[in-house]
Amino acid sequence: MAEKRVYEVMYIGAPETADEDITKLNEAIQQQIEKDGGAVVKTEVMGRRKLAYPIQKKTEGHYTLFEIEGSGQEIAELERRFRVNDAVIRYITVRVDEDRKKAAKWTAKRENRQARRRSGSSNFNDNQTAEVQDNQ
Amino acid sequence: MADNKEKNDDVIADLNNIDLNVVSELKNERMPPRRFQRRRQSQFVPDYIDWKDVDFLKRFIPERGKILPRRISQVSAKDQRRVAQAIKRARSMALIPFVTD
Repeated sequence: MAEKRVYEVMYIGAPETADEDITKLNEAIQQQIEKDGGAVVKTEVMGRRKLAYPIQKKTEGHYTLFEIEGSGQEIAELERRFRVNDAVIRYITVRVDEDRKKAAKWTAKRENRQARRRSGSSNFNDNQTAEVQDNQ
Repeated sequence: MADNKEKNDDVIADLNNIDLNVVSELKNERMPPRRFQRRRQSQFVPDYIDWKDVDFLKRFIPERGKILPRRISQVSAKDQRRVAQAIKRARSMALIPFVTD
């Protein structure tokens, strides 16, 4: 649990809510997260957007995306608040640190392979020994 | 009876030894060529699939709104799983429709 987890949290605010109220809500969320020991890395207000299908008979919504770093405790509290708040019609939390790490690993691997190929080593055995050494 | 059994065994052995290539050739002769060749070029799938990237996910969603099957999208099983997961996340946030009629 020592490592930090990174989450993407997105919510859809009800279309009736005024823009100022959304801003206020976002600030409150940030304060809450910080109080619970997390950090808001990024806040992206995506603004009013048409929903792909109606939710609670609404066809539009205020989209906001947060990137939150923390232990996971603050996410639980945030989700509880989302559930209670009527202005939030939908929310989603996605843990992204693991997928990002995997993606970075794949990218590095591919670049490594390409670099090796470019260096003109048509010698198959050379490549193999290099890979064995990597594994150890 | 014993002879019969032996014969049967021989037949089975023959079936097992049939050259599979010959069989498939026979099949090809008999079957008309497939009319619909819907193979597409395999999509490039990035290492990190962003579930918010609607423009990318749309490539895997035909007009009906369903997820493009792997046999048509031609991506690897691993990539297909990741794409499908991202599409489902985007759907739940109403970024992409579940169905379109």
